[in-house]
Amino acid sequence: MAEITLKKIFSDTGVRSAVNDIMTSINSPMSVLDADEEYLLGADKNGSALRFPIALSGCVIGWVTGTEEARPVAALIDHLARREQERKSLAAETLDRYKEISLLYNFVDKIALCLNLNEVAKLVIEETRKNIRSSSASVMLLNQRTRNLEILAASGRESSPKMTLKPGVGIGIAGTVFFSGKAEIVNNVASDPRYIKGANRVGSMMCAPLKTRDRVIGVINVSSEEPVGYTAGNLKLLHMLTAQSALVIENAVFHENKLKEERIKSNLERYVAPQIVKAIMDSKENIVFSPTKRNITVLFSDIRNFTTTCEQQPPEKIVEHLNEYFTHMVDVIFTHGGTLNKFVGDMIVAFFGAPGKTDQNEKRAIESAIGMQKRIKTIPAVWIQNNFHTGIGINSGEVVIGNIGSPHHMDYTAIGDEVNTGSRLQSMAKGGQILVSRSVYEATKDLFQFKEIGSVQVKGKNRSVEVFEVLY
Amino acid sequence: MAKILIVDDEPHIRMLLEQALEEVEDKGVALLKAENGEQALDAVRQNKPNLVFLDVMMPKMNGFDVCRAIKNDPAVQDTYIVLLTAKGQEFDRQKGDEVGADMYMTKPFDPDEIVAKAFEVLKLSR
Repeated sequence: MAEITLKKIFSDTGVRSAVNDIMTSINSPMSVLDADEEYLLGADKNGSALRFPIALSGCVIGWVTGTEEARPVAALIDHLARREQERKSLAAETLDRYKEISLLYNFVDKIALCLNLNEVAKLVIEETRKNIRSSSASVMLLNQRTRNLEILAASGRESSPKMTLKPGVGIGIAGTVFFSGKAEIVNNVASDPRYIKGANRVGSMMCAPLKTRDRVIGVINVSSEEPVGYTAGNLKLLHMLTAQSALVIENAVFHENKLKEERIKSNLERYVAPQIVKAIMDSKENIVFSPTKRNITVLFSDIRNFTTTCEQQPPEKIVEHLNEYFTHMVDVIFTHGGTLNKFVGDMIVAFFGAPGKTDQNEKRAIESAIGMQKRIKTIPAVWIQNNFHTGIGINSGEVVIGNIGSPHHMDYTAIGDEVNTGSRLQSMAKGGQILVSRSVYEATKDLFQFKEIGSVQVKGKNRSVEVFEVLY
Repeated sequence: MAKILIVDDEPHIRMLLEQALEEVEDKGVALLKAENGEQALDAVRQNKPNLVFLDVMMPKMNGFDVCRAIKNDPAVQDTYIVLLTAKGQEFDRQKGDEVGADMYMTKPFDPDEIVAKAFEVLKLSR
């Protein structure tokens, strides 16, 4: 707070004129001098014997000189000075509160619309450091997977972005604050047994929890290399900022998760039916994309004599027909809960039972195959109806399925003997035919009509495969 | 001697501005106060302040009218005028421009911004 001087008190014309009137009415020579002996008021230039001091907090800020009659004038000015001191103190306190309000207004304005987690964290740090003396600050969030506190953003000397901490009582100051949910000032960090030494020196620090409605999601640290003696006022300010930040950070985390989910969903929707996507997204269990053994049903479908059929068509027309044909086929596969694995030329490969686990895979694969054969006959393009005759092969069994490829290119695909058998069955099927293996037959023999074709030696396999034709 | 005039009908805002500007006052700048538009206009004509922090919403003569009168008076038209408006209060920026205001600040004002503006207008060094 600035020094209170008599000169300043008398710069108020109201005060000056009132004191002057009183002095005049007393009719005795007297003067008011400031601490530097400068005359502020009055005509007692002779330096009367009596000097009445005007003091504030034990410090003389001026005198009233004159006769004994000057004493009450000195008492009045003394009183005015004290009132001015009280007023200034109140004004300073009010200004501090006003600064807090102004800070919050600006802060909320800035972060309210920010949904980017890193931007929110940076803003929080920026505002914190702008208002609290510090050499570094950081925002730490709990990683839900590892249950570690990890630095999301940091600024200043102590910004080691890779720092992580397992929160718990007595494990680091941040860990303790996270666990207790109570903000702390530690002005002598070196003597605090909880302190975990980092790369840089920390003299004093404050740590406040980022609290949402029902939990603590992280902490904000503010520290100074030199011991600075953080006050309750500093902590209150930090607390205000963290209280405002917590909800915004939680929103930003939620928004980022939502975006991630949307990206996964949009990728998945290219391969599987929307209802399967929903089931996967709603599923509590983790969907595994790394290669894993799984019992699934594979469906292969291929247009017979495609090259010969298309010989007379310009390439653009062939693409147009294929696109229309694929659109219809994928629609049928999705309707029966299948997953589109890939198109290879005119061939379609589909799975039933991955990536999301489903039941009755064989039944749904046959229903899908029958649906595909029937749909071809109803595709509006008559040329497709007349020229696309597809053979379909279905097999089921244990395969290795997941993301397979190089780090630069991965495909979600299935590998294994049962996949090869499915492909062989397809190559044996004539246009309009659906051939299945014994495993598929056994799982669905009560549901569909079959004609036993017999054991067939398929290319590349030592044992023969029993083949059944689905009658529809 | 440089002068700043603080004009607001609310005593606590005048007190806050005065307190915020203490640092400027310590540089030898005189702080003058007025509690309504008429007083403000008189104070400007009489003291010729370099800078006026002028509240818009005041009884009798509002900030716009005071600003217009100052900017239309050749003797004081160079006075730098900062209009103070309350957040959420409908503020006609176009009207502010029409009456010649040099700047606008929203209440709750940032005390640091007030001080920075005073230093800038009065060309003071920290």
